[in-house]
Amino acid sequence: MTDTESDHDPEPTTDGGEDVRADGTGIVAPDDETPTWRERKERSQGLSQLTYEYFERARREDQDLRTESTYVERDVLAFPTWPHELIRNLSITFFFVGMIIFLSATLPPHIAAPADPSTTPAIILPDWYLYWSFGLLKLGPLNPELAILGGEKLLADRTYGVLANVVVVGFISMVPFLNKGAARRPVEQPFWAAVGVFGVTFAATISILSIKNLVAPIIDTHLLFDLTFLLPFVAGFVAYGLLKTMREGYMFSLNRRYYRLRPPK
Amino acid sequence: MSLEPKDEMDHSGWMEQRDLSPVEKGYLTVLVWLDKRLRIVDYLEIVENLYYKSNMQMPKSHTEQYNLDNKFWYWYPLYALGSLSTIAYVVAALSGALLGFYYAPAAAAGTCGIDGATVAYCSITSIMTDLNFGYMLRSIHRWSAQVMTAAVFLHMLRVYFTGAYKEPRELNWILGIVLISLTMVFGYTGYLLPWDQLSFWAGQIGVEMSLSIPLAGEWVAQLIFGGFTLGQATLERMYILHVFFLPFVVTTLIAIHIGIVWMQGIAEPH
Repeated sequence: MTDTESDHDPEPTTDGGEDVRADGTGIVAPDDETPTWRERKERSQGLSQLTYEYFERARREDQDLRTESTYVERDVLAFPTWPHELIRNLSITFFFVGMIIFLSATLPPHIAAPADPSTTPAIILPDWYLYWSFGLLKLGPLNPELAILGGEKLLADRTYGVLANVVVVGFISMVPFLNKGAARRPVEQPFWAAVGVFGVTFAATISILSIKNLVAPIIDTHLLFDLTFLLPFVAGFVAYGLLKTMREGYMFSLNRRYYRLRPPK
Repeated sequence: MSLEPKDEMDHSGWMEQRDLSPVEKGYLTVLVWLDKRLRIVDYLEIVENLYYKSNMQMPKSHTEQYNLDNKFWYWYPLYALGSLSTIAYVVAALSGALLGFYYAPAAAAGTCGIDGATVAYCSITSIMTDLNFGYMLRSIHRWSAQVMTAAVFLHMLRVYFTGAYKEPRELNWILGIVLISLTMVFGYTGYLLPWDQLSFWAGQIGVEMSLSIPLAGEWVAQLIFGGFTLGQATLERMYILHVFFLPFVVTTLIAIHIGIVWMQGIAEPH
C-alpha cells in the first residue's frame, strides 16, 4: 500500500472498506501474506471462528510434540504405502493376475438353461459369496413365537431373515468402536481374535446351511442346523484358549519388552 | 531502438548460453511454450507441495526400527489382498467394457434357436460360441470378479485379525464395509445379466427379500427390480446398475479408501 492511499479520508465505501487495486497485482496473495490460523480466527466469528481456533490448537499441539520428542526421526505409527507396501504388493498381485488368466483359459463359466418363470429349478442358489446372507434368511426356526400373541410370530420369517443381515453387518461396522486400545496381534487380544474366529466359522457354517438341499444326502438337516450355531462357539472357545496359552510364550515376552521400550500413549 | 518492451525473462537467450543437447533444448522449448500459456510451473508446485505435505517421505517403520521383520513376515503376503482386489477390479472393468460391446440387455425372445432364450441369453451364447476370444473375455470377466470378491473378503479378515481397523482407521473400516457390500451388489447384478435359470431365480429371491423389508419393501422392490415380477424392466435396471451406476460409485469409493490408506500409512501388527 502506498502512502497516498493510506492518507485517504474515510469515505463511505460500497465494497466493505477494502481498497481495490486495479493494476492486477492484488489478485493472488503472495505467500508471506497468507493469513495464519490466528489471523483467520480473529477475522471470523461463530462456528468458523471455533474451527480456526481448533486448527490453531492442533497445530500448536503438533509443534509441541515435535519439540518434545526425543526421537530424531518422525514418530511413525504405520509404514508408508509407497514404496514399502506397493512394491511388495505389485509383485504378488501380478502373479495373481496371471492366475486369473490361467483359470479363465481352463475353466470357462457355465451357462444354465434360459430363464423360465414356469419351472422352478430344484436348487436355487445365489453366487457363493452371498451364501452367508442367503443362510441368514433361513433362520425361521429361531424366530420366537410369542405367548402373548397366542403363538403368533412378531416378525414374518422373511423379515426376520433380512433383519439378521442388518444386525450382522451393523455389528461388524461397530467393531472399531467396541474394541479400542493399542493391541493389534491376535495374541494380544485373545477375546477379539476369538470373536473373529467365531465370525469366520459362523460365515462358513451358515453358508453350508444355505445349501442344505445340496448337502442333505451327507448330513441330516436338523443336525446341520444345530451344528451351524454350535461349531462357531466351539471354534471361538478353542481359539481363545490357544491364544491365551500363546500369550504366555515367546511372543508375549517380546511384546512386553517392546512396550517397555515404547510405552503406548 | 525497438518499441517492444524488453523481454523480462529472456528464456531463449538463457537456453543459447546453456549449450544444451537437442533433447534438452526440445524439452525446454515445449515446457516454456506450455508454461507461458498454461502456467504449468504453478501446478507443478502444487503437486510437489502435496507430495511433501502428505508425508510421503520414507521414515523407518516400527518393524524396521526394532528389527521385528523376523516376527511378522508371515502377515505380509496378506497385506497384498487389498491391492489384489483393486487389480482384479481393474481387470474386470476392462474386460467388462469389452463385453459391453456384444451384450444386449433385452428380455424379448431371442433368435439363436434355443427354446425360451431371450436376446440377452442369446448374446451370451453368441459371445461364448461365435465371437473370437469371446469365451476368454467372458471367462476373464467372471474369474476376475470372483477373485475380487474373494480377495475383498480375505482383505477384511486380514484387517480384522491384525487390528488394523483401530484408531485412527475406524472410518476407513466402515467405508470398507460399504465397499464389500457394493462389491456383492456388483456381483449380484452381474449374475442376473445372462438371464438364465440361475439368474432368474436369484432375481426372484432378491425381489422377495426386498418385499420383506418392513414399510419400505414394495418401494425398494419397485426401485431396484422395476416391479414385483421379473422382466424387461428388471434386466434393464440390473444392467444400468452394473455398467453405469455401480462403476462410478465403487471407483470413487475405492479411490477414497486407498487415498485414506495412503495418508494414514499401513497399520502394522506391533
